[in-house]
Amino acid sequence: MSAEQDNCQEQQKTPPPDSSSGPGTDKSIRQSVADIFFQPRVLVIDDEERIRDACHRLLSEEGFGVTCTKNGEDGLHVIERTHFDIILLDLMMAGLSGFDVLSRVKSLHPDTVIIVITGYATIEHSIEAMKKGAFDFLPKPFSPEDLRLVVRKAIEFIRTLQDITTEKSRMRVLINLLTDGVLTTDNQKNVALANPTFLKMLRCTQTNVQGCQAREVVSSPRLLEMIDEAMAQPADNFAEIADEISVGGADDSDATIFGARCIPFRDRLGRKLGTVTVLNDITSLKRLDQLKSDFVSMVAHEIKGPLNSVLMLLDNLKSGLAGDLNNKQHATLGRATERIKSLTALSSELLDLAKIESGLINQEKEELELSGLVADQVALYQQKAAAGSIDLNVEKIDSPVPVMGNRTNIEEVVANLISNAIRYTPEGGRIRAYAGYAGNYVLLRVSDTGYGIPEAEQDRIFQRFYRVKNEQTRFISGTGLGLAIVKSIVEAHKGIVGVESRPGQGSTFRVYLPKIIS
Amino acid sequence: MSEKKLVMVVDDDPDLVEAVSMKLESKDYRVAKAYDGQEAMEKIQAEKPALVILDVMMPRKNGWVVCDEIKKDGGLKDIGVVMLTAVGDAVPSTSYTHHDGKTTLADDYVPKPIDMDQLVEIVDDHLGS
Repeated sequence: MSAEQDNCQEQQKTPPPDSSSGPGTDKSIRQSVADIFFQPRVLVIDDEERIRDACHRLLSEEGFGVTCTKNGEDGLHVIERTHFDIILLDLMMAGLSGFDVLSRVKSLHPDTVIIVITGYATIEHSIEAMKKGAFDFLPKPFSPEDLRLVVRKAIEFIRTLQDITTEKSRMRVLINLLTDGVLTTDNQKNVALANPTFLKMLRCTQTNVQGCQAREVVSSPRLLEMIDEAMAQPADNFAEIADEISVGGADDSDATIFGARCIPFRDRLGRKLGTVTVLNDITSLKRLDQLKSDFVSMVAHEIKGPLNSVLMLLDNLKSGLAGDLNNKQHATLGRATERIKSLTALSSELLDLAKIESGLINQEKEELELSGLVADQVALYQQKAAAGSIDLNVEKIDSPVPVMGNRTNIEEVVANLISNAIRYTPEGGRIRAYAGYAGNYVLLRVSDTGYGIPEAEQDRIFQRFYRVKNEQTRFISGTGLGLAIVKSIVEAHKGIVGVESRPGQGSTFRVYLPKIIS
Repeated sequence: MSEKKLVMVVDDDPDLVEAVSMKLESKDYRVAKAYDGQEAMEKIQAEKPALVILDVMMPRKNGWVVCDEIKKDGGLKDIGVVMLTAVGDAVPSTSYTHHDGKTTLADDYVPKPIDMDQLVEIVDDHLGS
């Protein structure tokens, strides 16, 4: 649909670019016009031919589709069939007056911008026209520059309106498409917007909730509390309130669990306008997590128990409780015992990992002295190191190294790193353990002169069950879980673990834990 | 030693019962066996052992209940009870949750997996042998 199809007597095509770029042409109007992807339409209603011609010429040059009529009746006739973006309207005409046209246009096309042309610029007429919804007025006589100026203002206005409308509709489509639930409330906690997903999530049967009080729509008391908390935040604070909420279901099995985040939003002056809440269905994740940890612990228990019984039986046999054994029988039982021991170690570590990953491990933290803790672990592993002719020692520093942590967990980290170092260091090697500081962190470092880890595998050694296997390490036993456990524990303590290694020269593991801020 | 003392081993894992029994018999104890809490109570009433080595998680009646029943029964309360616990392994959110061992009336605890020498030492201590 284009302006040319309209039934108007003085329609003129947009001139080609540059044809109008004489001196005085305002480029910014052209730009504004170009910004609107359709050609804006202007209707000029004036009984003076001179004015109509001048407006037509000037506005056509600016890229508008211009239609002119010589009186109010003709004007209304055109308006009834065609929508115009701007109407230039003479107030004083014979027949239908400008005021009558103005009222009619406002009811037909409320978004049309009307600029009144007043033959004699009396304030009263202009004010009255503005009261009736005119956007601006243009007093006669006017210069081309006056016309450009007022039209430019109108275009800016239209463009802003259009931007807002576009933005609004884009936003509405976007929000309605989201699979996350979205709720916005105003500062009186009335619902400003709730997308269909949100209503479905909260099992709300109403469809038109705009303007309702949030508590009429939101069935979760915790979510209402979160909205209150978000609104209660002081002006300089912009924290997100996050929690898990459970909706529906007499018992936990058919309840839906949502991750809910609520933040206040404010205007340019920092005044609170309301809140935005986003809900994300995490039910299946929670269930999977629970299933996983149930499964792992079940497997570990069902395997560990019988294995331990077998170990005890083998031990009884080895001790001769069922009769004397010859050397070969004894050695065979010894081998069987070792294999079963490594299986029980695997199930223990699986269980540890499940506990750590489900976040259920005893996470009571206390202030620990890391350097003493490291020294204790080094002492515990001294015998094992000596058995492999490995020199295991502590690099001492003079000051204590306090750190917040769970003793059992941190001991496990140190023990895992030291026992790993022992297993992957050949005879005659050297292992040093150190606890100290590195910037804002407490540093735990275990370095060895062992086989080292090829660079390509360094990232993967913290993955579960990953073990570096080559001709040197093939016969080293292990579960492949030790470093995964280290990583889980360190991360649960908000720390970082990393390795630096060169094959053939050794490895250095570093654990950084947050320093205690006094 | 004039008469061998009777120790009852209670666990739902027959291999564990067998292994512990074998060890205790080699240390000159007589051993009675039970494989769940209910059976244990019946045999304890009938045979009056000097000591019970008691697993926690068992069918029909768990170890904590058995322990309570022994210790609250005037005729049985002098029987020593050594609990086999796996407290350290409990994952609180799963079906393996159980009581905190320290609130019961047991005389002693041996963690699983069982260190057989430790168990024998505890049995020896309690029976004064």
